[in-house]
Formats: sequence, structure tokens, C-alpha cells
Amino acid sequence: MSIKQIMLITIAGVYLFALTGCSAKEFSSKIDIVNFDQLEPLYTKSDNVLYVVNFWATWCAPCVKELPHFMEVNKKYKQNPNFKMILVSLDDSQRVDDSVKQFVSNMQLDAELYLLDDIKRMNEWIPAVDSSWGGAIPATLFIKNGKSLKFFPSAITKEELEETVLKFINN
Amino acid sequence: MKKSIINTIFTAIFLLAGFTAYSQGYKPGDTAIDFKLKNIDDKFVSLSNFSDAKGYIVIFTCNHCPYSKAYEDRIVELDKRYKPLGYPVIAINPNDPAAQPEDSFELMKVRAKEKGFTFPYLIDEGQKVYPVYGAERTPHVYILKKEGKNNIVKYIGAIDNNYKDASDANKRYVEDALNALLAGRDPEVKTTVAIGCTIKVKK
Repeated sequence: MSIKQIMLITIAGVYLFALTGCSAKEFSSKIDIVNFDQLEPLYTKSDNVLYVVNFWATWCAPCVKELPHFMEVNKKYKQNPNFKMILVSLDDSQRVDDSVKQFVSNMQLDAELYLLDDIKRMNEWIPAVDSSWGGAIPATLFIKNGKSLKFFPSAITKEELEETVLKFINN
Repeated sequence: MKKSIINTIFTAIFLLAGFTAYSQGYKPGDTAIDFKLKNIDDKFVSLSNFSDAKGYIVIFTCNHCPYSKAYEDRIVELDKRYKPLGYPVIAINPNDPAAQPEDSFELMKVRAKEKGFTFPYLIDEGQKVYPVYGAERTPHVYILKKEGKNNIVKYIGAIDNNYKDASDANKRYVEDALNALLAGRDPEVKTTVAIGCTIKVKK
């Protein structure tokens, strides 16, 4: 092996290390496990912020499909002080470390993340999120100052998501 | 001419009202339609086939959904326990296999055999039945009670309040509703909601 080759391999190694190290640093995939009493106050604050709250799960195909659109929209608006996106995973809390965090990292889910672990009270908190919600996911709530502005009990397109954000963010 | 315009308006209002009622699905107290759907044994099943039944536990469920899978054993138990009492389980897969290949008719047969289903497992071909009932997710239960020639909706919702662990459920909605009906009373809790999978429709 020539010196040149060794140098190349070393450079590639350092580069790879920097790359993975950097993305790991950038991507903490922090997920707080909460019950509904802890979750609700996080998006019902009277702070003039438009909260976009998406309910999803790793096993839910239509959720997984729409999440990249949520990330695109979040990237565009997250610097706006009147905007906050919250992703609420409904996965099994026992699987947070072995599957949910991995998924979050793979999908680069860069928003505030919670896992709602309150399964025995579904019949109470589902109607508290929205009275029309039957519990199918995905579901997305747009809410500001504790006042629900729009609720989608189904998948939404990137266009619908952005239109709804634009409609409510400055009102 | 004027009359025809008025007629058109009335027809439009009528259609609109009809459509709204249709899209909202059933509420407790409504009369449910019968259906004729293909079972996993390739024979067609209707509610009216069960002449001795006092009612039915109609469950929209499927193969792929983790919540449906979590409840399969409990659905078998419900059928074993309540069929002899006059309330058989009728399971219907509402998903379009074109949108969710795991829910194909062939794989329904496989799943039913694996899990030892004791009840009909029907496919909602053309997806005509689930919207009339208003099923939104899997699993989604409708308890019907036969009153004369009609099947009256008595309960709509979840099976119990713990999908993960049956033994830790402290609210058994479907059992409570059935026990009330068998005792000649209306269920106390008539509707519940729970997280579930959306019904898959090909776009």
C-alpha cells in the first residue's frame, strides 16, 4: 500500500467520522414520554403561536408518507416565532428506544417530539383533542391561544399543510 | 318552468341531506343496513342468514393494522362467548387490497386460519358497506340488536380500553354493552373512540 493510498483512506475515514459525528450531534432525537395532562398544556398556551400538532406512529403508513412534507414545512417556518410544530407519536412506549428513536433519526424528524402514553384514557383525550376525531391516524390539529382553528382527521398534502399554516400564522 | 326549478332545488336539498347523513354514518338508535359480502370460504354472508340471532357484533377489522392484530384473540373470545347467547361476531375487512396488499382476500384466509377465527371474515368488495356504517378505523365495532325486522345500532366504538394488554383493561365496552342488551337494557356507554388505523382507499 502506497503512502498516497493510506493518506486517502485516512482522509476518507476522518471525513466519514466528521459526517456521522456531525449528524448525530445535530440530531438528538429527544422524545419525552408524556400523558395527555402533560401534553395538552404544551399546545394550548396563550402565546400567539400557531401550534401544528400531528399525531402519528411508526407503523402507520399514511403517517410515514406525510411526515417528510411536515419536515419541509417545518424547515421553512420554524424560525418564525409564531410557529411551532409538535409531533406526537402514538407508538408503544416500550419501543421508544429500539424503534421510535431509530425511526426519528432515519427520517430526520426535526420538530418537538413527544410519545403520548395514555392508552387507557383514549376515550377521554381523543375527544379533548377534537370532538369530531374518531381516533384514526394520521390526524393534525392547528391551534392558537388554546383555540382550535382546523382539524384534519386524515392525511394531508403538503399544499394543504402549507396553505393552512399561511392562513392562520399571522391572524 | 318555475315548478321544475323548485323541483330541482328540492331534489338538490334532498340529495345534499342524504349525502350528509350517508357520510356521517350511523349513530346509536339508527337502523343498520344488511349486506351480502363474500366470506373467506367463498360463500356470501348476510345478517339475515342468522335467523336465530338476537343481534350481531359487526367488527370492521383487517390483517395489517397493529391494533386489529392486538385485538384478534379478544375478538375470537367475544365470538365464543356471545354467539351461544345470540350475538355472533361478523368481521368485515373494509380496506381496498389495492391500497394495502396485506389485506387481500387470499391473505384474509391465511390470517383467519392462523388465528383460528370462529366467525365469518368478510371482504367489503367495492367498499360499499363501511361508509354506510360510518366506520373510520380498524378495529371499529358496531353492536346491532334485532328488533322485529330491523337491526338497531346499540353501540359503536372500541372493544375495551387497553389494546396492549387485555388483562389490564378496566373498561370492557363491548362486553358491558352486550351484557346490558342481554339483560334487556340499553348500554350505558353507547359510543367510544380509540386510536386505530385509517381505512385504506386507493387514491
